[in-house]
Amino acid sequence: MRKLAGILAAAFLAALLAAGMVQAADKVVKIGVIYPLTGGAAAEGRELRAGAELALEIANKLTPGVDMEMAKNAGIKSLGGAKVELIFKDHQGNPQLGADLAKKLIEDDKVVGILGCYHSAVTKTVAAVCERFGVPMINDSSTSPALTKAGYKWFWRTTPHDAQFTRDLFEFLKGLTEGKAKGVAAVPKADLATLASACEKTEWGTNVDDQIKSYAKEYGFNVASSILYAAKSPDVSAEVQSMIAAKPGAMLFASYTSDAILLMKTLQSMKAAPKLLWGQDAGFEAPEFVTTLGDASNGVLTRTVFTPQVAQVKKVAGQVNELYKKKVGHDLSGASARAFTGLQAWIYVLEKAGSVKPQAIQAACNSIHIPGEQLVVPWFGIKFATTGEDIGQNVLGSGMIGQYQKQGDKITLEIAYPFELATANLIYPLKGF
Amino acid sequence: METLLIELLKSLVSGLLMGMVFALVALGLTIIFGVMDIVNFAHGEFLMFGMYTTLLVSPLMGVDPLLSLPVCGVVGAALGMVCYFGVVRFLLRGPMVAQLLGTFGLMLALRNLALLFMGSEPRLVKSGVLVGRSLVLGPGVVLESTKLAAAVLSIVSFVFVWWLIRRTKTGMALTATSLDKEGARYMGISTERMNALAWALGGASVAIAGGLLVNFWPVEPNVGLLFTMIAFATVALGGFGSIQGAFAAGILIGMIVYIPPVWDAATSFAGVDAPTIHGFKYTFVYLIYFLIMVLRPQGLFGWKQ
Repeated sequence: MRKLAGILAAAFLAALLAAGMVQAADKVVKIGVIYPLTGGAAAEGRELRAGAELALEIANKLTPGVDMEMAKNAGIKSLGGAKVELIFKDHQGNPQLGADLAKKLIEDDKVVGILGCYHSAVTKTVAAVCERFGVPMINDSSTSPALTKAGYKWFWRTTPHDAQFTRDLFEFLKGLTEGKAKGVAAVPKADLATLASACEKTEWGTNVDDQIKSYAKEYGFNVASSILYAAKSPDVSAEVQSMIAAKPGAMLFASYTSDAILLMKTLQSMKAAPKLLWGQDAGFEAPEFVTTLGDASNGVLTRTVFTPQVAQVKKVAGQVNELYKKKVGHDLSGASARAFTGLQAWIYVLEKAGSVKPQAIQAACNSIHIPGEQLVVPWFGIKFATTGEDIGQNVLGSGMIGQYQKQGDKITLEIAYPFELATANLIYPLKGF
Repeated sequence: METLLIELLKSLVSGLLMGMVFALVALGLTIIFGVMDIVNFAHGEFLMFGMYTTLLVSPLMGVDPLLSLPVCGVVGAALGMVCYFGVVRFLLRGPMVAQLLGTFGLMLALRNLALLFMGSEPRLVKSGVLVGRSLVLGPGVVLESTKLAAAVLSIVSFVFVWWLIRRTKTGMALTATSLDKEGARYMGISTERMNALAWALGGASVAIAGGLLVNFWPVEPNVGLLFTMIAFATVALGGFGSIQGAFAAGILIGMIVYIPPVWDAATSFAGVDAPTIHGFKYTFVYLIYFLIMVLRPQGLFGWKQ
C-alpha cells in the first residue's frame, strides 16, 4: 500500500512537472543562430554573437534609455510576452557543416527560424535547407548578390549586398577624381586608373571579384590584376607579388580576418606602395584588424555599415553602442551592428506575425516595414522586396566607406563616404609602408 | 624583358625561401614517422603551441621574440614527451587504425585546449627584431626577414638533425630502431627511449618553427591545419622518414607555389590577356604530389616499403 502511494505520488509529481514544462515551452520562441565561432573568421563570429545577444537582452526585458520599440516590451507582446531563446551553432566557415547544423536545429531543436550565417557560402547551403523544410531564415550579414537571386520563399536579407557596396566604392573613386572627398583636391584619374584586386575564392569573394570587374568597366577603370585566393592558406606572398607587379593605383580586397591580416603584413614586408587600399568589410573591419596591425592600418579604407561615428548623427546608435561597450569592452563593429539588426528584424517580424506558424512569419516578413529611426545602422529602414530580381532583399539599406585614422594613440574608423557624412579629412595618398 | 627577368628572379628567391619554411615545418613530422611509422596528425597543433609560446613568453620575459625560441624548443619537446608517454605509447599496442585515430584525437584535444585558454581570435607579435622588416636586394626584389630567418633556421635544423642521425651513437640507435625494432631491442637499444626521443625532437623542431613564424603569421587555434596540409604533402613527396627528402620536397613545393606570378609576368610580357591562375596554386602542388605518388609511391628519397 505504501508502495502504491509512493508510485502515485511520483506519478503526480511527474505530471505536474510535465505540465509546467509545457507551459514554459509555450512561452519560449527558439531561433537557431549559425555563425563561424571558431576558425579563420572566429573574430567576426564572436562579434556577431555578441551583437545578437545584446539585441536579445533588449528584446527580452524592459530596457529604458533605448529608443526602440523592442526595448519597451519584455518579450514578444503579441505572443503573450513570450521570451526569445537563441541556440548558437558554430559552422567554422564550412558550408556542409552549416547545412547539417541547420537540419539539426530544425528537426531536433524545433526552432521557429534561423539567423545567420555570415559566410555567403554557408548561408547558401543553409538557405537551401530552410527552403526545403519551409522554415524562415533571416540573413543579417552575407553579402553575395546571388543569395537573393534564387527566388527563395523563405529567405530574407537585411544587409545591403555587394553590388551596392561595390558601386559605392566606384562612386567613391569617381568622387575622389572630381575633388569631392573631404580635404583632398581632385586626384588625376590616371593616378587611380589601374586597379589590382585579391578576393577569397568562395561564394562571397568570387562575387565581389565579378562586381569589381563589371563596375570597373562601367566607371572606366582598368583591373590589371584580379586574383582569387584561398583564405585558408599559409602564405599569400605569390599573390601579393603579382599585385605589386601590376603597379596599381588602388588595391582592393575581399578577405576574412586571418587572411586580411596576412595580406596586409605581406604588403608591408614586400614594400608595396599603392595610393589607396580598400577592403570589402569582413576581415578589414574586424576589431583584430586594427589591434594586430596597429599603425599599419592607418589610412586603410573599408566598406562598412557601422562605425561609432554614426552615433554623432543617430541617437539610438549611440545608446546601443554604450550598452555594447559595457558588455564587450569595445565599440559596435559592422558585424555586430548587423547581427544586432538581424535579430531585431526577427523580433519585429515575430511581433507582427503574432504566431510562430511558418506561414504567419512568412506573411509578416513580406509585409513588414521597420522605420530607419528604429535601427542602429544608418539605413532608411527594413522592407523586403517581394517582386523583381532581388526577392527577399531589404530595399532600404545603404552602405558606407570608412577609413582608419590614427589620432594620438587611438585608431578610429572615420566616415569617408558618403562624402556629405564624412567625419574627417581623407588620408590620400597612403604614405606607404 | 627586364621586368620578366626580375619577376622570375623574385619568384625563384621567394619560392626558395618559402620552400625552406615548408621544409622546416615538415622536419618534425618526418623524424617521428621515420622512427615510429606513425603519422602525427597533431603536428600542426605542436606548431600552434610554439606560436603561442613565443606570443606569451616574450612579453613576459621582456625579451625579443627571437630569444624565446629556446623556450619554444623546451615546450615542444615536453609536449612531445607528454604526448608520447601519455597517449602514443598505448596506441602502439593497437592496430594501425588506432594510431591514426589516436593522433587525430590528440589534434582535436590540443586545438580545443588552445581555444579554451587562448580564445579564437587571431593574434600577432607586434614588435621585435624581425617584425615588419625586410631586406631590399634590388629593384623590387624584397626578402621578408621572417622568411629569411626561417630559411636559415631551416638549414641549421636540417644539418643538425642529419648530423645527429648519421654521425652520433644516439642517431644510429634511432636509425636502428626505425629499421628493425626487434633487432634493435636485442642489441640493447631501449626502443622506448628512442621513440620518446623522436617525439621530443619532432615536437621541439616544429615548436621552434612556430615560435619563429609567429613573427609574421597571425596565430589562432586552427592555424596548424594550414601548414600541416602542406607538411603532409612535403613528407610524402620527399619520402616518409627521409630527412633530406623533406628538405628537397619542401623547396620543390615552394617553387611550385610561385608558378602563378611567373605566369602573370609571362602573359603580360607576351601581351596576352590571360586570366590569373592564383586560385590553382595548391592544385599544382597536389597534382605533382599525386603524380609522384602514382609513379614512385615511396616518394622522391624514400627507402621504406
